[in-house]
Amino acid sequence: MFTQLLIAALVAGSIYALIALGLNLIYGTMRLLNVAHGEVVMIGAYVAYWGISLLSVGPLVSALVAISLAAALGALIYLGLFRRAMRSAEFMERIEGNSLLVFFGVSVILQNVTSLLFTPNQRGYRYQDEIVHVIGATVPVNKLIVLAIAGAVCGAAVLFFRVSTLGLAIKALIQQREAAALVGIPLARVELTTLCLGFAAAGLAGVLVSMTEEISPFMGFPLTVTAFVVVILGGLGNVLGSLIGGLLLGVLETFGVALTAPSYRSIMIYVVFIAVLLLRPQGLLGAGKSRT
Amino acid sequence: MTARVGRAAGIVTAAAVLAIALPFVANGYFVGVGFTLLVWIALTESWIVISGMTGYISLGHVVFVGIGAYIAAMTWLVLPIWAILPLAGLAAAALAMFVGYPCLRVRGPYFVILTFGISELVKYIVVNIEAALAVSGRVLFGAPGVETLYLMALALAWASVIIALVVRDSRFGSALRAIRDNEEAAETIGVAIGRFKAAAFVLSSVIPGMVGALMIMRSTYFDPQIFSPQTSVLIVTMAVIGGSDRPLGPALGVGFLILLQELLWANLPQLYMIVVGALLIAVVVWLPGGIYVRLQQMITAAGR
Repeated sequence: MFTQLLIAALVAGSIYALIALGLNLIYGTMRLLNVAHGEVVMIGAYVAYWGISLLSVGPLVSALVAISLAAALGALIYLGLFRRAMRSAEFMERIEGNSLLVFFGVSVILQNVTSLLFTPNQRGYRYQDEIVHVIGATVPVNKLIVLAIAGAVCGAAVLFFRVSTLGLAIKALIQQREAAALVGIPLARVELTTLCLGFAAAGLAGVLVSMTEEISPFMGFPLTVTAFVVVILGGLGNVLGSLIGGLLLGVLETFGVALTAPSYRSIMIYVVFIAVLLLRPQGLLGAGKSRT
Repeated sequence: MTARVGRAAGIVTAAAVLAIALPFVANGYFVGVGFTLLVWIALTESWIVISGMTGYISLGHVVFVGIGAYIAAMTWLVLPIWAILPLAGLAAAALAMFVGYPCLRVRGPYFVILTFGISELVKYIVVNIEAALAVSGRVLFGAPGVETLYLMALALAWASVIIALVVRDSRFGSALRAIRDNEEAAETIGVAIGRFKAAAFVLSSVIPGMVGALMIMRSTYFDPQIFSPQTSVLIVTMAVIGGSDRPLGPALGVGFLILLQELLWANLPQLYMIVVGALLIAVVVWLPGGIYVRLQQMITAAGR
């Protein structure tokens, strides 16, 4: 029973971590609150669904398309909406509120365009759903695939921010924006890349979600909320924090629901969320200084 | 009260007095649209008392609507309507007082996310209470007709516009704007920021509580889904599209969106939402200040 729950917690947690990673990168580098993040996940899920039902292409292949499409959307949004606006002092003064509104508009458009094109109905497909036994637990293969891919990408992300030049440049931007510009980091290019990377991760997460769950045009909103909870747990702008936060939330949710009842799931998540915001707004892992 | 605000308040009051005539001259459809319009004006104008003036963007305003509606549903047929409405407003104010102090200590994106989280938490608590009581939706028997509700909504909309006008013009309003522009500086020169923010928060919660009671009397049904986050978001959208810095801006945004809703909602709800999304983006990116400010500029330019 314990291993069963633990694997379920890890699967959920790795997906949460992957979604939250992109959200946190985008906030960290540009102070943009991307409330359309869940909709990018939704688009990835639809790419996988149409890939397998129309073209009989497996989700692992569609993932490449989903990633490119999501990244392209990120680039479009940055170049079309934010590049110019972010030069205006008036916009930047309330960048968080303004970006929240812009992304909310984006999310509403994406939801309703998808709903117009593909109907608002729930859809799903079967993929690798035979059951296997792993260390005493019974798990469908697709969940193991999800865990392996999400885990590998999160691990690669940690490495990326440790060793690669681009990763270090992004981290520099998160920590000290002005200083990063002074030492010659091309802000606009790094920002564009970060937005594309964050969106790409969300697109991939969508493919993974569609392998185990039903999808719909309105599936994104709860995912956005969960991702925000994870980011707050780990600390806004803290990349490693959001990975740990994702796993933590996966464990909390799975074991919490197993110990109480599924109807308490949302209450539990929001209580943790509000408690962290009020008591440690810098995140569980954040340093002592609170950032306002 | 300065002369300018006195004049604005006079115009608003005259418009409200004229609007009393609508249920006597128009058919039920238009009275229903009028009701919707007034309810949203009441909501957005009360929202700007906290969010427009202090810059603390609340994304959880629906929690006050929901709590007012819940109190009204529970006291329905137990108390008379004239007692239910103030009670709903008081319940919302009590909730605002309870959550206001701790919430307003955090700023910027944290406050936005926190208000959203609290409204969702209260929603799920109500869902679980209703499930524990084995109640699935409460039907309100004997609710007043749309004409009566319209007049009550008119009173609330009028009150919330007047409150927004008067607060903006008062010392209290100047203190709130000082908090928005530079909280540390405001504190240094002696503005009691904690108390002012909490007072604005409580003040902005009373009318939404009463609106919640009216909304369920109109639908004759209470369901925890009235705590929908979409309502909070629509409040913000309407205020921003109209222009949240001016007291009359939000009303303009409401009028614009409700008109659009009436034109598109019945046949093309998805298209309506797409247009709302596009408008929101366009206003924030290209029209900071909202359509009210732009209209004013155009009128001034035309007058020259």
